[in-house]
Amino acid sequence: MNELQAIATGVERGKNLEVPEAVKTALNNGIAPYDVLIDGLQAGLLAIGERFKKNQCFIPELLLAARAMKAGMEILRPLLVETGAKPIAKVVLGTVKDDLHDIGKNMVGMMLEGAGFQIIDLGVNVSEEKFAETVKNEKPSILAMSALLSTTAPNLSTTIEILKQTGLRDNIKVLVGGAPITADYAMEIGADGYAPDAAYAIDKTKALL
Amino acid sequence: MKPRARFLKAVKREAPDKVPQLVRWGKEVGERLSSIYGVAGEELGIRVGNDAIVCQVGINAYMEMSIGDLQEGETVTSEWGVVYQRQSGFNNPIAYPLKSREDLKHFVFPDPFADFRMNQVKEVMSKYHEDYAVIVDLSSSLFEPAMAHLRGMENFLLDCYDDPSWAGSLLDGLADYYIQLGLRAVEHGVDIIRIGDDIGTQTGMLIPPDLWRELVMPRIDRMIRAFKKIHPEIIILYHSCGDFRPIIGDLIQLGVEFLSTMQPVGSMNLSEIKKEFGAKVAFKGGLDTQQLLPHGTPAQVRAGVKDLIHTLAVGGGYVFMPAHLLYQDVPVENIWAMLEAVKDYGGYPLKKLR
Repeated sequence: MNELQAIATGVERGKNLEVPEAVKTALNNGIAPYDVLIDGLQAGLLAIGERFKKNQCFIPELLLAARAMKAGMEILRPLLVETGAKPIAKVVLGTVKDDLHDIGKNMVGMMLEGAGFQIIDLGVNVSEEKFAETVKNEKPSILAMSALLSTTAPNLSTTIEILKQTGLRDNIKVLVGGAPITADYAMEIGADGYAPDAAYAIDKTKALL
Repeated sequence: MKPRARFLKAVKREAPDKVPQLVRWGKEVGERLSSIYGVAGEELGIRVGNDAIVCQVGINAYMEMSIGDLQEGETVTSEWGVVYQRQSGFNNPIAYPLKSREDLKHFVFPDPFADFRMNQVKEVMSKYHEDYAVIVDLSSSLFEPAMAHLRGMENFLLDCYDDPSWAGSLLDGLADYYIQLGLRAVEHGVDIIRIGDDIGTQTGMLIPPDLWRELVMPRIDRMIRAFKKIHPEIIILYHSCGDFRPIIGDLIQLGVEFLSTMQPVGSMNLSEIKKEFGAKVAFKGGLDTQQLLPHGTPAQVRAGVKDLIHTLAVGGGYVFMPAHLLYQDVPVENIWAMLEAVKDYGGYPLKKLR
């Protein structure tokens, strides 16, 4: 148990050099890879996510924690593959057309991946067609879209329209976010959910499943 | 009362004849307004009722107007080595000159003494300074250029933890550059020097206030001291988008007496801020550009302006401005409603609310 606590604390404090060592120690002591993931790495990331929601920590501290988690995952991933552990669900992620901003979107990706989702990140300036095509081919449970500008926010809505027209809308849940986005706006354009930041995005995504 | 006197009186936390105004816009809105009024550039600002003129000489000029000929999707590399791509009326940095921390060793900052940098300042001073306040904009100045232009956001945020002394050297290089540039502007006799970094988000500070105090504050201090040494009365305006309330007290301590953009997000409760800091600092900005101006009705915009004036302009110390440049998502009717409301509600003594 102490080994798992050490991993979680390491992730929470963003110790990217210490976390892989702690993961190795835990595995050497016979703790199952899945438990290292859930009660070690994920517990740490969720803990800092909770602090972030309460404004008790800041964006760089989330980035540090996500980086530490990633360092731990490098060790753990091959073992998890062996044991056949499955991701919670698949999420397609991207910033809408004409918008090149990505730190918010990247943080949502890191947090969701850390929480056990499989992420397909389409990057920035993603057209409606590209989103629709990926939804069709990858069959994700969730489509998560970001818009940072008030001028690009309408592209969230046009993407949802295209999904409707191509008959894909009913198969997925749509989550939206970004500086000018509000819960009301999300509802107005026919999205299923809105999250104000990367930590809340985890809760919202889980709730939509 | 001349616009310059009106503007400077408000900056000195007094009430002039009416609330001064400084409304600014992106290229597309500028073109639209130009076609309506038949004037462009500084004359357009004057035509809509602005009391001050801004000369942008900082690195953000590359994001805003100065390379405005770029077409959507086109890219350009600046003298800093930053690659910008025009998208949605804005030049976005997409590639950074400091790919690794090592690159700083060989990085050459642009020459602050290059002749062309003061061209606009000289012209504006000779043509307009008698009547209009002149602001020289040195933004973005420290944290934001390091993060958003030179190193990349995620990289620089991590650098601040991985190697704070390296982050400090980059900020020192920027401070040195801007001190030289700002001193030249001060020597030209401008009224206000604007320093700015976007260190606020929708919900709070981007970085911990203590990290800002450790890394950024001493460099802002150095800049302000350098300017005040040759002109003790020079007014320092500090700008950040988003929520930067936790460091307003620190900025005042450094000698900042004028704050913008007062975006009404996160803990930026403008009436509390006016109460807490209004005796020491004047404000500019505050009208919501994320919901009210693009999505509101003209009547809602009018009510928003009225409310804002009664929040920030009571007793003076306020310059009207939206919380950002106006972009093409703001309907023209809302721009008219806004300008008209400033005229209708901005006269001192302020009309009673009801």
